[in-house]
Amino acid sequence: MMMARAKHSSVLHGKVDWWTITIALVLMALGWVNLYAAVYDETRTAFEFSSQYGMQLIWIGISLAMALVVMLVDDKYYHILAWPIYIVVLMLMLSTLVFGITVNGAKAWLDFGPVRLQPAEFMKWGVALALARAMSVFGFSVSHPRDLFRVALIVGLPVGVMFLQHDVGSAVVFASFLFMLYREGLNRWIYIVLGVVMVLFFGSFWITDTGLVMLIVGGCAVGFGFTYRTWRAPIVYLASVALVSVAVWACVTLLAGVGWRYYYFLLATVGVSLPVCVALAYAKRMRGFWVFVLLLVGSMVFVSTTEVVFESLDLHQQKRILNTLGVESDPSHWGYNVNQSKIAIGSGGVLGKGYLEGTQTKFNFVPEQSTDFIFCTVGEEWGFVGSVVVLMLFCALIMRLVAMGERQQEAFGRIYCYSVAGVFLLHVLINAGMTIGLVPVIGIPLPFFSYGGSSFLAFTLLLVVAVRLDLGSGDLAASRE
Amino acid sequence: MKRDFMRQRVLLIFVGLVFAALVARLFHIQIVDGSYKQAASNNTLRYEVLYPPRGEVFDRNGEYIIQSKEAYDLMVVPRDVIKGFDTVLLCRIVDVPLPRMRSQLERAAAYSGRRPSVVVPQLSKETKLLLDELRLPGFYTVYRTVRSYPRKIAGNLLGFVGEVDGRDLARDDYYRSGDYIGRTGIEQAYEHYLRGEKGVKINMVDVGGVVQGAWQNGRLDTQAVAGRSLTASIDAGLQAFTEELLAGKVGAVVAIEPSTGEILVMASGPSYDPDEMVGRDRGTNYARLANDNRRPMFNRAVQSHQPPGSTFKVLNALIGLQEGVLKPNYKYECYGGYNSGRVHVGCHDHFSPVDLNQAIMTSCNTYFCHVLRNIMDEPEHGGSASRGGYDHWAEHVRTFGLGRKLDSDFTGEQSGNIYGSDYYNKTYRGSWNSLTVISLAIGQGEILSSPLQMANFASTIANRGHYFIPHVIKSIEGAEMDQKFYEPHHTDVSPEHFEAVIEGMWMAANTEAGTVFGRGYVPGLDICGKTGTAENPHGQDHSVFMGFAPRNDPRIAVYVYIENGGFGASTAVPIGSLVIEKYLTGATTRPDRVDYVKARKINYPNYDNRPAI
Repeated sequence: MMMARAKHSSVLHGKVDWWTITIALVLMALGWVNLYAAVYDETRTAFEFSSQYGMQLIWIGISLAMALVVMLVDDKYYHILAWPIYIVVLMLMLSTLVFGITVNGAKAWLDFGPVRLQPAEFMKWGVALALARAMSVFGFSVSHPRDLFRVALIVGLPVGVMFLQHDVGSAVVFASFLFMLYREGLNRWIYIVLGVVMVLFFGSFWITDTGLVMLIVGGCAVGFGFTYRTWRAPIVYLASVALVSVAVWACVTLLAGVGWRYYYFLLATVGVSLPVCVALAYAKRMRGFWVFVLLLVGSMVFVSTTEVVFESLDLHQQKRILNTLGVESDPSHWGYNVNQSKIAIGSGGVLGKGYLEGTQTKFNFVPEQSTDFIFCTVGEEWGFVGSVVVLMLFCALIMRLVAMGERQQEAFGRIYCYSVAGVFLLHVLINAGMTIGLVPVIGIPLPFFSYGGSSFLAFTLLLVVAVRLDLGSGDLAASRE
Repeated sequence: MKRDFMRQRVLLIFVGLVFAALVARLFHIQIVDGSYKQAASNNTLRYEVLYPPRGEVFDRNGEYIIQSKEAYDLMVVPRDVIKGFDTVLLCRIVDVPLPRMRSQLERAAAYSGRRPSVVVPQLSKETKLLLDELRLPGFYTVYRTVRSYPRKIAGNLLGFVGEVDGRDLARDDYYRSGDYIGRTGIEQAYEHYLRGEKGVKINMVDVGGVVQGAWQNGRLDTQAVAGRSLTASIDAGLQAFTEELLAGKVGAVVAIEPSTGEILVMASGPSYDPDEMVGRDRGTNYARLANDNRRPMFNRAVQSHQPPGSTFKVLNALIGLQEGVLKPNYKYECYGGYNSGRVHVGCHDHFSPVDLNQAIMTSCNTYFCHVLRNIMDEPEHGGSASRGGYDHWAEHVRTFGLGRKLDSDFTGEQSGNIYGSDYYNKTYRGSWNSLTVISLAIGQGEILSSPLQMANFASTIANRGHYFIPHVIKSIEGAEMDQKFYEPHHTDVSPEHFEAVIEGMWMAANTEAGTVFGRGYVPGLDICGKTGTAENPHGQDHSVFMGFAPRNDPRIAVYVYIENGGFGASTAVPIGSLVIEKYLTGATTRPDRVDYVKARKINYPNYDNRPAI
């Protein structure tokens, strides 16, 4: 048995997911080639290891070596190592609060002479392992409040430290574990509420308060219609609210001659209608009706507090949100980065300007072009076709991770694979999305493309452990035959 | 398990939606919306204009009269300037006072921090080399050409260049702010040939505005094409000599080569050194010239017009001969003037009676009063001036290029004036006759002509009945001259009638009784001439001379008009004969005449006593 196990767990076994490895290697190669273009300087053609692309090449070498080590370690050890890894990385993060150096306003870096490390990048890996470990325990259920609290603690601790480091960008990434948690059965209402909150938050900048109330009431009515498969009641309700509010508003305006806003009449009508609806629902024994009442009241309260939430953000965060939403536009100041980034990508056209021919990146119009805005070089030099190819490779990688997770025999591997898929998805969405003005600017790297050793190594470890776990399960399947 | 499957599906759909949104957005900004491509070129492309050297002008003997000298503009890019650099040293090198340098730099900074502005224009090459050595960050020099007028003559003829204004920019998109354009004279008339074609060099710049190389390896760049050089018909030496003679006088001299219509001399007095309109003192010089009461920037040779005086009698004689109302042997008696009814036209003292030749020679007023009346009262043209006689006469006059623009290559030509009969009908309410307009017989009255027109008239007589449109440019490098300058314009007086009046003009200059003889006789040159003394109600009469030489095969026709110069013989005749002699023989044999002309002081109370403008 021991002999067979040792033989089967070898990397030469043949059950390695070569698709994932291939896609990852292609992305790494494209990433480096693209980084070379981003920092390319015509006046210095000789290869220099001190340059960013030289340093990145060293990091790629280190990462591939680490990947080999990971592949050689038995998959069972990751169950055992999950907690130690989590705790060690968390300690490193805490030590940055004391010994760390500040880069771009975030005190998140540790300086080891020639190398700088950003422990936060490895925290994703640590959290993914820790969550997999904690959630694969027998009897664990995400619906159970105590278990949910554990999950919140595992994620919440590093996020708390990141807020202390003023590294909000890295903290946002931990929302990516919601991807895995959904698969593991987290209550879908949490997602619905989160979705509604985001829509209302961003919506409140676009539409007037009257429109927002209409949207909320209409949304609840539609949700009611779907839930109970009846459309008469919500239509009658909406019609009567509209009729009553407009009639009262018109009467007051015309007869009393007082110019009160329609908003208040709509709000009052909705408020009065609530007890009536609750009473009717109670009479008809609709037990789930309270959800809609809660949603409605909650949304109203949330909308009235968005101002407060928004004001609590830093000025640059506020401005980034307003720029993305198109509420404000000042391409010379707050919107400079995104505007220049959009110019670079937009000027790429269908086929791009050609390798090393991107004028906007070459002449430094785009700031942070080797790190956060690396996607600009892709868009400008490789055009629409190249950008879509890169995005499709990421999409394939994520799909592969989902597929790998689904074929795991153990919860540990599935949870881990889904976590990795979520992390990659969020990074690609935010990083590529912000360069084309789809998402507010949040400074997080594009996997395998952005310059930076910590993130490159962290993404490699995240991915390779998933492949190693997948191989382990393949091993089991093979031994069963 | 089914629930897990559903959840997996939802997640995959979510992943799909995220990537679909990214691709859709990319599709929009990279393919649908073209504005980003424009924004990218605005970011990176800088168009640098390459200025062509302006075309140069030679005189008819191949001597430079307008040259393009290299010059350098000192430019500044304010944000590259290091604070606290040695401003005083810079001021000393470029020779600009410190306060002016400061204000220039402030103005440049206010215009743009990144774009270059001119700080000091038109520096010499030596200054440029000094500046290159100094290597001040933020400063550099660019090549421009600047005009130079080596002979320092003919300011009004050559003209000057000036910076373009809003109207030029609106009219012609060749010009950009700060460019130069010909403002007067040849510089203006031949601007289109002289300016050349600007080139453009498209550079790529980085975010700091620093040039990073040529766009597309310079494939779209164009070279500047130098302006075409022109050969003027002017004789620079003769022009300079004429201007010397004109010094201190107000008037004009125009000389034409009759066989071609080429203008040999076009002098206007007072004149100015065209080099004064170049360089840094241009502003003050311009103000001084513009405020001068004698108006040196007014080109009297083409822009002024006056009654031609007695020189016009020749034309009346020609029309009389053509109409058959005058024969060379017709004699009229003259005792101190012409009298008819209440009209009296005075005449000076000379023998009587005179025939045509003698009338021209002595410039007898009475004779030409008879001639004019005979023309206008001719029975076959209504029998009266007001019934067609006048118009018939005016028709003849106009074929000599009077009363209208000659359509020369010169800008600002004055058309002169020959009224139609409608003017007299209106003024005299229909009741007028040849006696009413009797002043026209002796070139006075309502008739006005420019010196250029009268020189052309002299040329027409020399040619025995035709002229070529006078022009100042003989040929253009690499381009055809307008064909109109090669077509003869025939008058409606037959060539055979000219010999009679030419005989009179010859006698005037070559026999002792002639009006030209005293100060205009040059042995062997066969000068034919006619004096004029144009009446001036405001002061001294204007002195006029019209002539050509030699009599057979004429090579030069001259018209001289000196304001307040007195009798034609006293000022205009010596000037005219000296110009003819100088041109035909290359020298003058009568130094006393040259000294006489130069020493002759004429007062111009009507100019000089006017309050300054």
